[in-house]
Amino acid sequence: MKSLPRGRHGLSREFVAQNQRERLLSSIAECLHERGYERSTVSAISRHARVSKSDFYRHFESKDVCFAAAYDDSAERLRTEALAACADRRDWSGGVCAALAAILAFLAREPARANLLLVEGLRAGPDIYDRFQATVQSFVPELADGAPAPASSGRSPEAIDEAVVGGVASLLGRRVLAGETEQLERFFPDIVEFVLTPYVGTEEARRIVSTR
Amino acid sequence: MDALAELSSEQGYEATKISDIVRRAAVARKTLYDNFSGKEEVFLGAFDAAVEEAVRRVERACAAAEGGWEEQVDAGLAAFLGYVAEDPALARMCLIEALSATPETTRRHEDAHQLFVELAERVFPKAPRVPPTTAEAVVGGVERIVYREICEDKAGQAEDLLPELSEFMRGPYLHSGAHGGANN
Repeated sequence: MKSLPRGRHGLSREFVAQNQRERLLSSIAECLHERGYERSTVSAISRHARVSKSDFYRHFESKDVCFAAAYDDSAERLRTEALAACADRRDWSGGVCAALAAILAFLAREPARANLLLVEGLRAGPDIYDRFQATVQSFVPELADGAPAPASSGRSPEAIDEAVVGGVASLLGRRVLAGETEQLERFFPDIVEFVLTPYVGTEEARRIVSTR
Repeated sequence: MDALAELSSEQGYEATKISDIVRRAAVARKTLYDNFSGKEEVFLGAFDAAVEEAVRRVERACAAAEGGWEEQVDAGLAAFLGYVAEDPALARMCLIEALSATPETTRRHEDAHQLFVELAERVFPKAPRVPPTTAEAVVGGVERIVYREICEDKAGQAEDLLPELSEFMRGPYLHSGAHGGANN
């Protein structure tokens, strides 16, 4: 994100503050991506965002607070794009494919945010880890909404929804960790097959994959 | 190490102090430092021992299972869930605390996850039509469910989920022109 012009620029104080906040949120993800959590100090983040350290502290009381806000911001962007892609819920499997494609495209396009959301963020302590788990959890009801009942004889078929979402999150995290963020979209057919199989069976899942 | 597992599952890794560990374990502070350089090393020691034990149990159960790969999957899964149920505090330490306690414990957790992915790959049939990433996703899904059980203090009943998880694990490999399991 571009920094604002220096000196007198006639922009409102609210506009400047909002712009600074957004720059800090995207800078922390980039800093983390380049330097890791420990070395992403308040000075490094502020420098990256072209914001003074005192402005940093006007927005966030500490690095951890900024970090948590950045995590929530990235998670919300990912969720928004995924849900927008499957807004039409009449066709469940089509919606799942569209949402997965949007998720992969977002992560591949935003490697710093992918790293924050799925890998480095988890190394930043229990608070961010809880946010990771909550984000994963938030996709469970979305997947379950309109899904055919999984062919399960167990007493809690809803566990399948959660296992599927958890499996995708784990797979994506491992691919990001392996440095494959920018090629994530090539896992689209694998992931679609994995996600659809418990609900429609392997054969039908493969048929759907082959039509995309 | 048992004391740390109990304490970190009760109050979290960060809040657990060396003084708590030695009190709970009823050992002298010196004894702890004779064996470990500090809290992180105690944690990693306990973590590695638990992973080793879990892998050993799963491998033994798979090897002892009669039938094909389906039975091996069920036996391995049952052994894993049984270990979780037997020691929920240790399970919480390994499957929750380890992920965010320190950067080194996070790495150690990733390595352990990889071990289980490889273990699953050895048991699942070699089915050319199944995407190569399936074992990873399946293991991640099982871990997620166990995570939720631990969070909800239901780790003691983890084995109740055996039917659902068994179907979840087998599903992608059914009707796949599968030929041969781990032993073939």
